[in-house]
Amino acid sequence: MRIIEIDNVSFHYKAGTPVLENVNLNVDKGEWITILGHNGSGKSTLSKLLVGLLRAKQGTIRVANVELSETTVYDIRKKIGIVFQNPDNQFVGVTVRDDIAFGLENLQVPRGEMIERIEQYAQKVDMADFLNKEPHNLSGGQKQRVAIAGILAMETDIIIFDEATSMLDPKGRNTILSMMKQLNDEGVTVINITHDMKESLYGDRIVVLKEGRILKDDTTKVVLADHKTLEKSSLEMLLPLRVLRALEAKKVDNEKVRSYLWQLSLTG
Amino acid sequence: MKNIVIGRFVPGKGFLYRMDPRTKIISLVLLMASAFVIRNFTAMFMAIGFMALLLVAGRINIFRVLSGLRPLMYLLAFTFIFQLLFNTQGDLVVAWTLHYSPLNILMVTALVMLWFFTKRHVKFKFFFFLATLVGAVALVANLRLGPAFATGTLDIYESALTTGFFIVMRLMIIVTLSTVLTLTTKPTDLNLGLESVMSPLKVFRIRTEEMAMIISISLRYIPTLLDEANKIMLAQASRGVDFSEGKFKAKIMQIVSLLVPMFIISFKRSDELANAMEARSFVPGQPRTRLHQLTWGLADTAALVVSLLALTAVITTRVVM
Repeated sequence: MRIIEIDNVSFHYKAGTPVLENVNLNVDKGEWITILGHNGSGKSTLSKLLVGLLRAKQGTIRVANVELSETTVYDIRKKIGIVFQNPDNQFVGVTVRDDIAFGLENLQVPRGEMIERIEQYAQKVDMADFLNKEPHNLSGGQKQRVAIAGILAMETDIIIFDEATSMLDPKGRNTILSMMKQLNDEGVTVINITHDMKESLYGDRIVVLKEGRILKDDTTKVVLADHKTLEKSSLEMLLPLRVLRALEAKKVDNEKVRSYLWQLSLTG
Repeated sequence: MKNIVIGRFVPGKGFLYRMDPRTKIISLVLLMASAFVIRNFTAMFMAIGFMALLLVAGRINIFRVLSGLRPLMYLLAFTFIFQLLFNTQGDLVVAWTLHYSPLNILMVTALVMLWFFTKRHVKFKFFFFLATLVGAVALVANLRLGPAFATGTLDIYESALTTGFFIVMRLMIIVTLSTVLTLTTKPTDLNLGLESVMSPLKVFRIRTEEMAMIISISLRYIPTLLDEANKIMLAQASRGVDFSEGKFKAKIMQIVSLLVPMFIISFKRSDELANAMEARSFVPGQPRTRLHQLTWGLADTAALVVSLLALTAVITTRVVM
């Protein structure tokens, strides 16, 4: 079932310098797709278009069969949550509890249910002991977990992670990634926007963006092995696959080595 | 710098901490009004007694309240002296002839020297200064040493003393009351209370919820921005800017080198924050449910009744007497 349909969407801040050009993209319910691209490839703009923070200059966006427009944008925001890059700039509440509550207050969830949901989702992201803590007493990873709890509590069908791990240390990043995995297993549609090749290993599908155009849209395994596309979008192939390619160039063709290297790259 | 306390809230126990912020705000206004209406000594002494009772019953550290009064003392002293010099109503209480003679002036100079060299050892510097000032004037008026080359007069009238006393006491009561409020109320609760108290202003299309939201976000971002300021100062220091020294002009340049990046960063932050808020379904002006709810207790009703009684009492005494 299609949950997001992006049809021929273009966007520019200044006429003549397009940020996105004729983008077509469909996302199925429960899918995990990775949008891979370098700085300025338009990947963050795409996420802003999806929740109506920016309006497409051309083309249509449909979320769960509802076309995004000025009247439907508020309903669509109830279906998509975004976790942004900077953990500090999305922390609205004075405490962790207040911050998780913020989205619920906006959705006019009754107070009793709000308290239950805060408890439930704080536990889910393992922040239940920090509910009364203030943001400046938390680490980046903890703040990002709070941001996730805030989105989860709103119970959206789709969660976009817009470079959500790029400001975290490796430990914080791994926690967030395993959290994404768990959510996806539970049926949440995950869109992970990143420029990190390793992160793209987790998803089902990779969309490569370059200068506002979709360069490639295929399964993870196909895109990761496609050195031409990766090179074109100045992304670096994962090390085991680079080794594999070098071996192939030397005509060293061993089925065992090949499968081992693939396995190595896919387990990260 | 990270754990900076805003609004001087000091955690503690006592009934003032448990009270609804709305009660505290309304009572504050009522009691402040009472302090302004008071015009006789008995009522004023009762008010002072009431304040003492409040501080004791609320288990509030008196030194914190005094430190709240500290910045006010220059204003208080100035107002009082101004009254003494220029208020000429009522009976004459003090009529001094000031005797300006070389010996007297020498004595005053000696006194000033004494003040100058001992002031660093004295704890209450400003009071020491005032005492020196009064002492100098008293000396010039009462000790007539040698022939005077000029004379002056110093007349102090009754009304000057009483009006001065009332003004000083009123200001002290007001500052003490507001210190008690900020000491015992968390900034977030204060914000919630203010929003609730000001909600009738919605009739005049003043958007109180948004004002409260702005205040709460400011409170949340103060530590973050201070942190940022610290980082910028370190970055500038590593490039040779010295924030601790320099002349006035150099200081201005240092502040500019801090402020410009701070402004840019703040705008960037607020833009991202606005996006994050909107993405989480925040729509300005739309109704929202609330996690925090204020609860009105019996103590709150009692406090409000007491404050109201105080105000009516002082108004009636003023009308009757």
